[in-house]
Amino acid sequence: MQPTHTRLDDPAKTDSQTLLDVKDLKTHFFTDEGVVKAVDGVNLSLKRGETLCVVGESGCGKSVTARSILRIVPNPGQIVSGEINFQQRDGEAIDLARMNPKGREIRKIRGGEISMIFQEPMSSLSPVHTIGSQIMEAILLHLPVSRQEARKRAVSMLDLVGIPRPSEQLDAYSFELSGGMRQRAMIAIALACEPQLLIADEPTTALDVTTQANILDLIRDLQQDSGMAVLFITHDLGVVAEIADEVVVMYLGRDVESGDVDAIFHDAKHPYTRALLQSIPRYDSRENRRLYSIKGTVPHPFARPHGCPFHPRCDDFIAERCNSIDPPRHKLSQSHSVRCLLYSAADEAPPKEDALS
Amino acid sequence: MLWYIVRRIVYLIPTLLIVSIIAFVVIQLPPGDFLASLISKAEETVDQAQVDALRERYGLDEPIYVQYWKWISGIVTKGDFGRSFEWDKDVSDLIWERLGLTVVISLLTLAFIWIVAIPIGIYSAVKKYTIGDYVVTVIGFIGLAIPNFLLALVLMYIAFRYFGQSVGGLFSPEYIVADWSIDRVLDLLSHIWLPVVILGTAGTAALIRVMRANLLDELSKLYVDAARARGLSELKLLFKYPVRVALNPLVSAVAWVFPALVSGSAITSIVLNLQTTGPLLYRSLQSQDMYLAGSLILLVSVLTIIGTLVSDILLAWIDPRIQLQ
Repeated sequence: MQPTHTRLDDPAKTDSQTLLDVKDLKTHFFTDEGVVKAVDGVNLSLKRGETLCVVGESGCGKSVTARSILRIVPNPGQIVSGEINFQQRDGEAIDLARMNPKGREIRKIRGGEISMIFQEPMSSLSPVHTIGSQIMEAILLHLPVSRQEARKRAVSMLDLVGIPRPSEQLDAYSFELSGGMRQRAMIAIALACEPQLLIADEPTTALDVTTQANILDLIRDLQQDSGMAVLFITHDLGVVAEIADEVVVMYLGRDVESGDVDAIFHDAKHPYTRALLQSIPRYDSRENRRLYSIKGTVPHPFARPHGCPFHPRCDDFIAERCNSIDPPRHKLSQSHSVRCLLYSAADEAPPKEDALS
Repeated sequence: MLWYIVRRIVYLIPTLLIVSIIAFVVIQLPPGDFLASLISKAEETVDQAQVDALRERYGLDEPIYVQYWKWISGIVTKGDFGRSFEWDKDVSDLIWERLGLTVVISLLTLAFIWIVAIPIGIYSAVKKYTIGDYVVTVIGFIGLAIPNFLLALVLMYIAFRYFGQSVGGLFSPEYIVADWSIDRVLDLLSHIWLPVVILGTAGTAALIRVMRANLLDELSKLYVDAARARGLSELKLLFKYPVRVALNPLVSAVAWVFPALVSGSAITSIVLNLQTTGPLLYRSLQSQDMYLAGSLILLVSVLTIIGTLVSDILLAWIDPRIQLQ
């Protein structure tokens, strides 16, 4: 399928501002007990230099979406359908979903064009290799430099991410660094080859609050300097408010609502998004008021509800409709879309996906 | 590091002293002594006066601490491990005679185990739950389940019946007492594979399982994904990170190899008629040949301690997380 975002001045390529365009991505896990539809129709698009936040509860498929983009979904997970269109540095658009996950092409993308940092800096560095050896590995894989130049670059990367005494720390092992320093080292590795896109999979979740703020500031500063785009995965709406340009809210492997950060925070449409926003504790709330929480829990992966996957927990549930009709993506404005029957109620027969995007 | 090694060696002295006392006492614990077990096996009646004379000559009538003192002071001052009653030879001569072949067989067995088991273990972990993994696993369990001596008997039968090879021992009959020559070495090599394979089977099977389990643990770690996300190829990735980490526990197993050099696989060695130290220890314990048995146990202890030290140093060398101090 050809990319649909076209412009008159450049009809052959996707919108030159769009770096990543994920369409109806489905990543399923084929286990002995059955198929787990971890990601079941996600759409997201990210422009150059922008920050897109993916939010949702644990188990809604955020991480699997991120891993699908880099094609590092663990076994027995597989991308079953969808497109991951990525615009390479040379201007050529490619569909990452079609690539061989062990092939040479995707390996050039990984670390070179798209980098990733993970949730636990404690375990994402090798316990028996120095920080330097891992940074230099990334540099030597993607850039045509000698070992010495790679070492120099590694030192300057450590300096860039704010690790003190970088030339000494280059020969440090991960267990000799604190959690915050390890995440800085991970960022240094990820950015060593100046990727166009950084995927950050809950990079601050395992860190204490002060360190979280430092790491967020660091990512933002580096983004401003380099102009890279950031796909930021988190369940922390405070973080989203702070850094996001665009937001995608996920529930059970779907994007239920997406829009720019203002639309999501001030004009949220989907009951799930609204519920998430209401669940944030506020310091100015009246005393003795119970904190709102969404009723029920995320359903078991094998017991996916019919119709809208959120309907059993939804306050605005419409009987006979929500439990039978799978809500299509409904476009509220240029940038704001929602999957909810409250907004596409007018048309009885849900229109086809393609017509909407 | 050097200081650490020196200190460990100093600690070795009191440990060995205690071990030697315990070894000596334990050997003396069963009722009777070498002469008693000799008499019980003798077909004619033995003259009591003659027995008493022998007992006095060997010092067997003295109290146990005097015997121990004679033995240990002989070792410390003159390197004299005493005399074997049964063989009527110096203990040190007896042990040295057999130690060479024992070391050769043990090291070859170890090499065999590692060379065979590590690649299979890696394959089995990477191809988890495939036909190949199941086949390897089944063979591994069979290897673990069959006693070595039984495997020895079966393989000896096959080698003799179908290949006409002279089995048992490490040499063909014509080379047993011959001087060392190229032909004798070749003859040794043509015989040694059988004990190496037999002695290595159980070890190989066990190591495949250990390697598979270690590697499976490591393969799911986040640092592997992180390295993959940097664009490393699957093969380089596998050997640089998870395999490297999974090998660490194997290095600590080196400690067991040293004591096994002396005492290991006695029964298999008896079945195969190998002139190693295992059967020697077995016999000496049966006949209460106390100086020989005591010296062998002392040797096993020394090697255990040295083995532990060696594997500690190796581990500290390959794993930066371990600090010697």
